[in-house]
This record gives sequence, structure tokens and C-alpha cells, in this order.
Amino acid sequence: MTQVSADRRKFRMGRLERKNTLIAYTFLAPNFIGFAVFTLIPVVLSIVMSFTEWKGGDLTSMQWVGLNNYAEIFKTAKVGTEMANKGFFAGLSYFFNKVDLGISLKNTIFYTVVTVPLTLVCSIALAMVLNHAVKGAVAFRAVFFFPYVASMVAICVCWNFMLMKNGPVNQILMAFGSKFNKSWTADSTMAMWAIILVSVWRSMGYYMVIYLAALQGVPRELYEAATVDGANKWQQFTHVTLPQLRPTTFFASIMLIIGCFKIYDTVAIMTNGGPGRATKMLVLYIYNEAFVNFNYGLASAIAMVLLVLVLLVTIVQFSMEDKYANS
Amino acid sequence: MKKLIALALTACMLLSMCAFAAAEEGTVITIVAWDANTTGYLTAQKEAYEASHPGVTIEYIDVSSQDYDTKVAAMLAGKDTSDIYMVKDIPALLNWYEAGYTEDLTPYMQAANYDVAGFVGMETNYAQDGQQIALPFRSDFEILFYNKDLFDAKGVEYPTNDMSWEQYKEKALAVMDDSDPSNPIYGTHYHTWLSTAVNYTVADGVNTLVDGEYSDLAYFYQMIQDLEDAGACMSYSEISAAGLHYSGAFGNGNIAMMPMGYWYVATLITNIANGTYNVKNWGLAAMPTKEGVAAGSTFGNLTGVCMNKLSDDKDAAWDYIAWLCGEEGAKVTAGAGNRPAWVSEGVAEVMSSIEGFPTDEGSKAALLPTFVAIEIPGTALSSRISSILGEEHSAIMTREISIEEGIENMNERVQELLAE
Amino acid sequence: MTAISAKPRQHAPMKPGRVIGRTILYLVLILLTVFTLIPFFWMLSASLKLDREVFSFPMRWIPETFHWENYSLIWTKVPMLTYFKNTAIIAIAVTFIQTLTSSFAAYAFAKLNFRGRNFLFLAYIGTIAVPWQAYMLPQFVLMRSMGLYDRLLAMIVLQSFSAFGVFLMRQFYQGIPTDLCEAARIDGLSEYGIWLRIMLPLSKAAIATLVIFTFIGTWNDYMGPMIYLTRDVNKTIQVGLRRFIQENSSDYHLIMAASVTSLVPVTIVFLALQRYFIEGIATSGLKG
Repeated sequence: MTQVSADRRKFRMGRLERKNTLIAYTFLAPNFIGFAVFTLIPVVLSIVMSFTEWKGGDLTSMQWVGLNNYAEIFKTAKVGTEMANKGFFAGLSYFFNKVDLGISLKNTIFYTVVTVPLTLVCSIALAMVLNHAVKGAVAFRAVFFFPYVASMVAICVCWNFMLMKNGPVNQILMAFGSKFNKSWTADSTMAMWAIILVSVWRSMGYYMVIYLAALQGVPRELYEAATVDGANKWQQFTHVTLPQLRPTTFFASIMLIIGCFKIYDTVAIMTNGGPGRATKMLVLYIYNEAFVNFNYGLASAIAMVLLVLVLLVTIVQFSMEDKYANS
Repeated sequence: MKKLIALALTACMLLSMCAFAAAEEGTVITIVAWDANTTGYLTAQKEAYEASHPGVTIEYIDVSSQDYDTKVAAMLAGKDTSDIYMVKDIPALLNWYEAGYTEDLTPYMQAANYDVAGFVGMETNYAQDGQQIALPFRSDFEILFYNKDLFDAKGVEYPTNDMSWEQYKEKALAVMDDSDPSNPIYGTHYHTWLSTAVNYTVADGVNTLVDGEYSDLAYFYQMIQDLEDAGACMSYSEISAAGLHYSGAFGNGNIAMMPMGYWYVATLITNIANGTYNVKNWGLAAMPTKEGVAAGSTFGNLTGVCMNKLSDDKDAAWDYIAWLCGEEGAKVTAGAGNRPAWVSEGVAEVMSSIEGFPTDEGSKAALLPTFVAIEIPGTALSSRISSILGEEHSAIMTREISIEEGIENMNERVQELLAE
Repeated sequence: MTAISAKPRQHAPMKPGRVIGRTILYLVLILLTVFTLIPFFWMLSASLKLDREVFSFPMRWIPETFHWENYSLIWTKVPMLTYFKNTAIIAIAVTFIQTLTSSFAAYAFAKLNFRGRNFLFLAYIGTIAVPWQAYMLPQFVLMRSMGLYDRLLAMIVLQSFSAFGVFLMRQFYQGIPTDLCEAARIDGLSEYGIWLRIMLPLSKAAIATLVIFTFIGTWNDYMGPMIYLTRDVNKTIQVGLRRFIQENSSDYHLIMAASVTSLVPVTIVFLALQRYFIEGIATSGLKG
């Protein structure tokens, strides 16, 4: 009996599902057809391309080379010998200090790990401040969003000049006792911080606006209850505001992480990966392999490393969010 | 919603407004070039050819010079049918050849019994596997520009065509003046490129930048660092951070000497004539040389044209290439202040007689180098070697690593690449 | 006691501590504003200088003489008007198509159950992670074979169907209670009716958000137009800007003048829509 009704339910749901699916597809179609043709197919092609050698021309002229491209970017032979001779960690250190992929991975991850929290903290702080009834709040909001609107070429040229040896930023820092007297982009350590600074400067206003809007949704009763319990301002912030902002932080951090992993413009204009390889990032590496060395297959293989990395981080984030939602 | 619909309607109207009108008459030769609208010799070549070949029109497709290789890679991969592509550097050309985009010019040259004597052997840099994949029409060599007024002010003698690098360094130190910090006079100027800094090592005809051994570069790096430390030239770090362009730097009138490609002559003449630059009296000298290297030896590079295999009028395209690279085209190129790849007495005369060119004998004599080595030879690996050298170059020049370390890295990384 | 503290704040006289706090707050805000705007000020100042003055030392914040002619030069030296027109066509068309189709597709992802939903959505998200530089060339070859090259249409179709729009709108729609849809279904409204009558009116804010981001993104895009648009009549502002950086000379004063000019339309769009915009991000961000 139960068997039959279960089957019937399944059947009915199937029919409903089919009807729903049909309707859903009509909703999807206008966007999906364009998306598939102009984005999805090329992306899939580039996945295929990472296993081939291609010099351009007809797509059919791609030559299958298996994992060769991956072996080359990871320098498996060289790293393997190093590991066999000097131990696992020596090999690892060789990979991250000598191999292009290792260096750009290291740089990209460092950049992301610093930029994401920094942007989040700055944008939350700005949002908290501008959420009070500050006079001119609307104007301030517009000001902080402004960097996001301007085009990258002009901005990066400006910042390079700001951060020069005798530029305004160094002069201010010197007034506070800093001993640093070099153009930021000409210093292996500071070049990375120059890029981080510009990135945070550019995106903090954008995420501030998101947080600002999210703050409007925090129920007032929660603060009142906290006040009754004798919580001070800071305790209110950590115990009420932050947990309430969690979904926003989740959304913002995913978008930020993907954006950071894909950084290109800022680096290309400000440092071009230099000095040496101090700011060489994954996408810059991809671009050079594709359009300076004309190694399209290799470039795609590097992109796949990036894709896997982003997907891993996203999946971890999603599962953490699920855990949070379920608890 | 209404607003959105209104926006959409406007969009559709605007879209229909930009319909294309492509009416073609006679033969049209399309040439893909960079800075097409602002480069003097391109305009001059077009006008001269159209005047002597009625019914033929030259049409340039303008590509930003910074992104030329990227854009052309995409165009060629996408089966573009433009007739002629300008060749900016040899590694990119080799890639086009390997992908099968370039037409072999050898049969055309044989059929026309084309005279290559005027190229003095430079055209072989564009030959691969017995095919002539391009022909050069410009051949620039590195030459020393100097500001006569600054030398006069300090009573230092002008640079000569037979200087050693030591003498050059002494002059740079003698002519500099940092007594007024708001307007320092620099003895010399190095643009951020690797070539302007250390490429002179290849002038002896023995060293190359693709051999995997770079200890010979140390001499030049050391000299630059000494000059920087003495304040005789701006530091690399600042030039690269500011994105300072060499043209404006020398044009500003506070730089006494600057090694640069010959192409800068045209820019200099134009900008002095229209009053953009402060510099007034300038001269040319041959690049200094190391001991044991013949005076007048330098390095240079080529600019050329190649024919697209998908061109639909190859004979017309060949006619233009033959004209452009041969003596007639060379005179037009020279007349616009550039150094053509084809040289003859007639061409040299045109070069030195253009308005605004320095009239002293030394500058005229500097036009005839005794030996020109190619900047970086075209091999399958040259673009990757260039990238490696460029990365280490920036690390050395910003003083993030010592010269020895940098050269060690260059050796190690390039040798690893060559071994693969 | 509690009654007193619950009193609205503005009626209470300001304590000295609070005055100091406020002052510090404003000081910090003003400092931050300067930090944010200083590059723009430099840009403006550079746009009124001569080329050789732009990078000269010591730095001059206010130009010796104001070269207003830079702003007229950019229109005559290159066909800037054509570039503006082209950029506007592309940006407006992309924004319209993107907003319309994204909200349509997002409705399916957010409110309808169908086979393959998660897989399709993952495909959308996955493409965001792949940098364009990696698939630029195969995409170009495909587009070219469809005859979509050196036409504004190429840029329009290329940017109109991005995954970002669908993701953003989906997040917003998820925040709209499903009960609303259920009630409408019981009332006999079709799914299309629900989208038109309930979802669209409720998502004005999200639409404004998407409009701004798409418009800014398209307006400032460089690599796409650089690769796909070839003839001068088809170029856009960002490509046009690079024409001032040439092999043998550069006109940074003109680049800055053109950049400042190109800021105007984007700023107008932002200011016009920012009220909705703040609200829109809130809702789409909340239900991540």
C-alpha cells in the first residue's frame, strides 16, 4: 500500500516537475542562450585547450598533448628531482620561490588574504560611522563610492605618482617618523602593499554601501535588549551587529575573493609584476603566456589552476554557511 | 519601467544610426599598423604611393602601440583578411609564421628579381626555414642624443663619435648640475627598457642576449648605478613609478645626453618645430663603445611588413611591399625623419637634409654606424628570454637585488629554459 | 531611570565627551575624504597642465597656467565624440538587455523548482571564476566565425549575458517571501504574471543596482573593445584614451582630461540612481 502511494506521489511530483521545468526553461532561455554561446562554450573550450597546443587559427587545429601543459607550469620534473634529492619541503620551497606558477600563486594568495579582510574591516567601519545620523552622510557615501566609478588607467597612474619617492604619501609618512624613502612600486615589499592599498581604496566604498544597507535591516529591539543587559557599545557591535551582518559578510567575501584572485589591471598598469617577480599575479602570468609567448594552451592550464582554487574556496565557504544556517 | 523602455528605444535608434557605409573603388590595400594617424612616415608613405599609383588606396587600421601584439594575435587567429601587417618585433613575427599566417615573399622576390643589396644583410633577420616572411622598411639603431646648450653652459665639449664608455661617463658627470634642487640638470637619461640600459653589450658582434650567459651586462649595470648615485641621471625607480616617457624627459631640456633609437629624431624635430619642447639645439653622436670594439658599433632593430596569407589581392600587396622597402619608399621614409632599412647615398642625403636636422658634421657622420648588431635575435625562445631578462632587469635597477645576484638569476633561469 | 535613557537623544544636552567624540569623528571622515579624493584632484590638476609639466618635480598641485584648451583638444585630436557615442550605445544596450534577461532568468533560479537547477547555477558561477584572458581567444574565433567582429553588436552580445547579473538578481529574489508567489498562484496568476506583477515592482531597487554596475562596467571596459572593435568609427572611450599613449610620445595631460570628461556620464548615472541603489544592494546582499 505504502509502496504504491509513494510511487504515485513520485509520479505526480515528476509531472509537476516536468511542467515546472518547462516554464523555468522559458524564463532561462533568453539569458541562457546568450550566456551559453558567448561565455559558457568559450570557457569549456579553454578547459579543453589546457590539454592542447594551439597557435591560433581554426579551433580544429588544436593538438592534444595530454597533461604536458600542466607538467610544464608545475615544472614537475624539476620540482620532483628537488624533492627526491633534498626532501619534500625543499621541493616545495623551490616551487614557491623559483617556479613562475609557484611565485604567482604565492603572490596572489598573499594579496587576497590581506586585501579581503582589510576591505571588509574598512567597509564595515565606514558603514558603522555613516549609519549614525552624521551630517552630510549622503555626501560622504557618494565620496567613498567614487573611486569605484573612475576608470583604471587614470587611477593607477595617479596612485603611482602619489606613492613616489618624494610623493605626498611618503612625505606624510616621514612626518610620522617613517624611514622609508623609495617609490613604493620600486620596492619588492612595498609594491605589493601599493597594489593592496589601491585595491582597498577602490572597493571599500562599494562594500560600505552593501553593509550600510544591511545595517538598516538589523532589528532595533536587539540593541535595546542588549542595552538593558548592560552591554556597552563595543559589546553591542560584537554580539548584535556582527552576527546580524553575517549573511552579508558571506556574500561580500565570496565576491571579494573571486575579484582578488582575478586581479590584473592594477598590477599590469602599476608594476607589471615587478620589481623582479615580486607582484607577479596569476592573471598577469596567464596574459603573458598567451599574448607575449603565444602559448595559449599553457595559459589555459594556468587558468584552470585558478578555477580549481576559486571553486575550492567557494565550496568551503558555502558549506560553512550551511553549517551556520543549520545551527 | 517606462524609463527603461525609453532607454531601450533610444538604444535601438542609436544602433540603427551607426550602419556601415563601405563603398570601395579601385584597389584598396589594408595595412594594420600602430599609431597610424599620428605617425608622420605612415602618412607620407600613403600619400607618396597613392600619388604615383593612381587608383590604389592605402587604408590603415590603427591599433594602440601598447597592445599591438595582443590585438594582432586575435585578428590573425580570427582570420582577418587585411593585406599587410606591420611587424613590430621579431618574436611576434615568428609566432605568426609558425601559426601559418604569413605569406612567403621569396617567390615574389624571385619573380621580380628584387634587389636586396640596400638592406646590407638586415633582411636575413626576417628569414625563417628558407622563407622570407617579412621585409624591413625601417632600421633603427641606438644613437646618442645630446643637448648642445647644456654642454655649452658647462663648457664641456660635445660628445664625439669615437667615445669610450668611460669618456661618456666622465662627460655625464661633468655636465650635470644639482646646485638648484628645483631644476636639476642631468648628465644622461636611461629609459626603463632593458635595451637602453645594457643592450650595448651586443655591439661587439659576439655577445647576444639569447646565449644564456650574462656576466657581460654587469659592466653597464655598474655604470648606471654609479651615475644614479652621483645624481647624474634620474633613478630607474622614479622613472618607472612615474611612468615618465623618455620623449618628454629629453624634451624638457634638462637632460644633457640620452641614448635612444634613431626614431626619436622625427619626434624631436616635430615637437621642437611646434614649440612643445624646451630643448632647442641638439646633436647626434655615435654610441660609445667598449675597448676593443670598433667605434660606431651599435645595436638596432627592424620595423617591417609581412603579407597576410588570407589577403585577397596579394599582387597589389606585394607591389606595395616592394615599393615601401625599396629605394623609392626608403626616400619617403627618410624624408619623414626616419631611418629606412634600405640605405644608399641618395637615401642618406635625404636623411640629413630634412628641416630641423642638426647641421654639424659630427651629427651627419653619426648617421652611418660601422656595425649594427640586432637587438635580440629571433628564436623560438626569444620572447620568453626577454620576459626573464626584463623581470631581473627591474629587480636589479630598483636595487632590490645586487647586480651579481641578478645576473646569476638571469644565467640560471635562461639556461634552464635553453636546456628544456 | 529607564524612562530617562529611552528619551530621544537629540533633546538631551550634549555632554563635553560627546562633542569631542563628534569632532574626532568628523576629523577622521574629512581625512578619509581627502585620502579618497586626492588622486582625483591630481587627475584634474594634471588635465590642466602641459604634457611635460605633468610629471615634473617638485610636484605642483595647482598648475602654473590653466590649460583649459586640453579639454577642447581631446575632441579635435581624436574623434572623441564618436567614441562617446559608441560607448553610450554599447553601455545603454548592454544595460537594458542584461537587466531584462537576468531578472527573467533569476526568477527561475530563485522561485522555480526544476531539473538541473543547481547544475546550471554552478555553471553560471563557475564562469565568473575563469579569467577572461584565458578564454578570450577561442571566444574571439567563435565570434568572428559568426560575423561578430568590428561591430558594436559584438560588444553588446558579449557583455549582455554575464553571470554576475543573474547571481545578483537571484540573491534579491530569494529575499522576497515565497508566500507571495504561492498566494498569487492560488489567485490564478501564471508564473509570467507573477514575475511581471509581483517580482518586477518589488525589485526596483535591485534593478537600479544592476543598472549602475552594468553601466559602469561597460563604460569602463577596455580589453573587450580593444580586441573586438577595430575601425576608428567603432572604437570606445577607453580604447580612445590609449591613443594618447603612443610609441614615441605620450600625452598624459590629454589622457587625464579625457578621463575627467568620461567620468561625467557615469557620475550622473550613479547620482541619479543612488537612492534605489543603496536599498537594492541591501536586500540582495542580505540573503547570501
